[in-house]
Amino acid sequence: MTTLAPEVVPMSAPTRAVVELRGVSRWYGNVVAVNDVSFSLGSGITGLLGPNGAGKSTILHMMAGLLRPSAGTVLVDGMSPAGNPDAYRRLGLVPEREAVQPFLTGFEFVRTCARLQGLPDADAAAARAIVQVDLENAQHRKVGTYSKGMRQRIKIAGALVHDPAVVLLDEPFNGMDPRQRLDMMDVLREEAANGRVIVISSHILEELHDLATNVLVMVSGRLAASGHFREIRRLMTDRPHTFTLRSSDDRRLGTALLAHSSVFSVELAATGAVVRTADRGAMTRELPRIARGIGVRLFEIRPTDESLESVFSYLVDQ
Amino acid sequence: MSGLLSRTVMWLTWRQLFARRRVWLAVAFALAPLFFTLVFMVVGDDGTDARVGFLGVLQRDIVIGTLLPLAGVIFGTTAFGGEVDDGTLVYLLVKPIPRWQVVLSKLAVASLSTFAVIAPAVMLPWLVLRNADLPFSFAGGFLAGAAVGSLIYCALFLSLGLATRRALVVGLLYVIGFEATLSRSLGGLRSLSVREFSIAISQAASAGAVKIPDALSMATVYWMGTIILVGAVAWTMRKLVQYEMAERL
Repeated sequence: MTTLAPEVVPMSAPTRAVVELRGVSRWYGNVVAVNDVSFSLGSGITGLLGPNGAGKSTILHMMAGLLRPSAGTVLVDGMSPAGNPDAYRRLGLVPEREAVQPFLTGFEFVRTCARLQGLPDADAAAARAIVQVDLENAQHRKVGTYSKGMRQRIKIAGALVHDPAVVLLDEPFNGMDPRQRLDMMDVLREEAANGRVIVISSHILEELHDLATNVLVMVSGRLAASGHFREIRRLMTDRPHTFTLRSSDDRRLGTALLAHSSVFSVELAATGAVVRTADRGAMTRELPRIARGIGVRLFEIRPTDESLESVFSYLVDQ
Repeated sequence: MSGLLSRTVMWLTWRQLFARRRVWLAVAFALAPLFFTLVFMVVGDDGTDARVGFLGVLQRDIVIGTLLPLAGVIFGTTAFGGEVDDGTLVYLLVKPIPRWQVVLSKLAVASLSTFAVIAPAVMLPWLVLRNADLPFSFAGGFLAGAAVGSLIYCALFLSLGLATRRALVVGLLYVIGFEATLSRSLGGLRSLSVREFSIAISQAASAGAVKIPDALSMATVYWMGTIILVGAVAWTMRKLVQYEMAERL
C-alpha cells in the first residue's frame, strides 16, 4: 500500500480543533464496514474518497457521534462525540440524505438549527448562514419546493450556523449544478481559511480538485492511501490502463503496438485486441499514427477497466 | 431551552404533527361526536334518560374507546416515526440537547395534541345535550380520563415510533386487537388496558355524574398506569440515547 503522510496537525496544538481516529473499526454482525483506521486531522479541508460501500459514511457518522466504534477511539476536539451532546457545539454535520423537514421554510430550518444550538440571536445567525450559501431569495419558500441542490445548500447553512470548529459533509455536492458547486467550494475554502477542520466525503476525485489539501482514500473499509491531493491524483492517473481495440486486422495492429515502449502486452480475444499500457496519454496519441502506418482501419477503442472500483483496487494493490 | 422541555423541539414537533392532511383528520376526530349527537337530536328519543344513556355510550365507547387511542396512535407514532422514516431525526441528534429532553418534549406535544383533538369531542356533544342530569362534571370526568389516556397512549406510541418503521400499522393493530378486542373479552387483561384506565378515571373525576359499574379500581389504575407510563418513557429515552444511524452496506 502506498501511504503518503498527511499533513498531521500536532495533537498538542491547544487552540486548534483536531479530529483523531485511533485503530477504529466498526462492524455490523459479520460485516466489517471499517477496519482498523487511524488518522489525525487539523484545520483545512480533507477529502474522504472511496467508492460506494467503502466505509466513508460510517467514518463520518462515527466522527459525528451517530455511530459508536466497535473498537478504537474517535476524538473530536479531544472529546468522544458519541453520547456527548456538548460535542455538537463544536461540530456541524451535513448528512448525505437530502431530506429536510419539507413543511419548514429554508429560514425556519436554519433558525431551528440555531435555536437548538442555543445561540442568543438565532434570527441573525440564520440570516448570516443563508447569505453564505446564497439562498436569500428562496429563504422564505418551503424546503419541500427546493431543488436537490438548494436542499444541499440549506443543509450546509444549518451545519454552519453555529460557527463550528469541525464540519463534516457527506457527499455535499450531490445535485448541485457546476456554478453552485464552485460557489460552495468558495464557501468551504473560506471556512477552512478561518481555521476550521472540514471533512468532505466523495466518490469522485475531481470534486476534491482545488478544494481538499489532503485526501484519505477508503477501500473496503480500510484506509488505502492518504496524502496530498496531487499525489493521490498522480497515483490514480499513472496506473496501467487496459483498452480493447477493434480494427480491420487486430493481429497486425497488436504486433505493431507491442513495439511501442508504453505497451506491456497485447492479447487477442473474441472481442478484439486487449492492450495494456503504462501511459494512457502516449498510447492514445500514437495509436492512430501506428494504425495508419500499417494500413489498418480502427473501428473502436474501448477502455475496459475504468470503473472506480478498479482504480481504487489498484491503489490497494500498491 | 432549559429545564425538562425544549421549546424548539416542541415547536418543531407541533409543526410536524399538524403538517399536511393530519390537520383535517384532527378536525374530523374533534367533530365526529358532534355529528353523531346532532343525528341523535334529529332522530332519537329526546327524554332525559335517553340523553344520559346516549352521551354515556358516546363518550365511553366512541370518544374514549375509539377516537382517543386512534388520535394517540397518529400523533404518538408520528412524533418520532416520521423523522426516522425520512432521516430528519439526525438534525435533532447532532445538537447539544440531551436526548431525554427530546423525548419529554415530543411526549408533551403529542399528548397535548391528542388531548386537544379529544377535548372538543367530549365537550361539544355535552354542550348540545346538557341538562340538570348532565352537569359539567359529566364532561369534566371524561376530560380527565382523556387527559390521562392521552399521556399514556402517547408514551406507548412514541416508543413504538422508535421501535419499528411500521409504527402506525403496529399501533393500529394494538388498538384493534388489544384495546378493542382482547382487553374487553378477557377480564384479566383489563388491568393493562389504557382505555379501562381512562374510563375508571372518568368515573372517579365526575363526582358521581358518570356511572360505570365495572370500572377498574383507582389503585389498579394508579399503579398499572404509572408502571406503563414510566416504563414506556424510560425505554424510549434509552432507545434514543443508543440510537445509531442506519447504514447502507
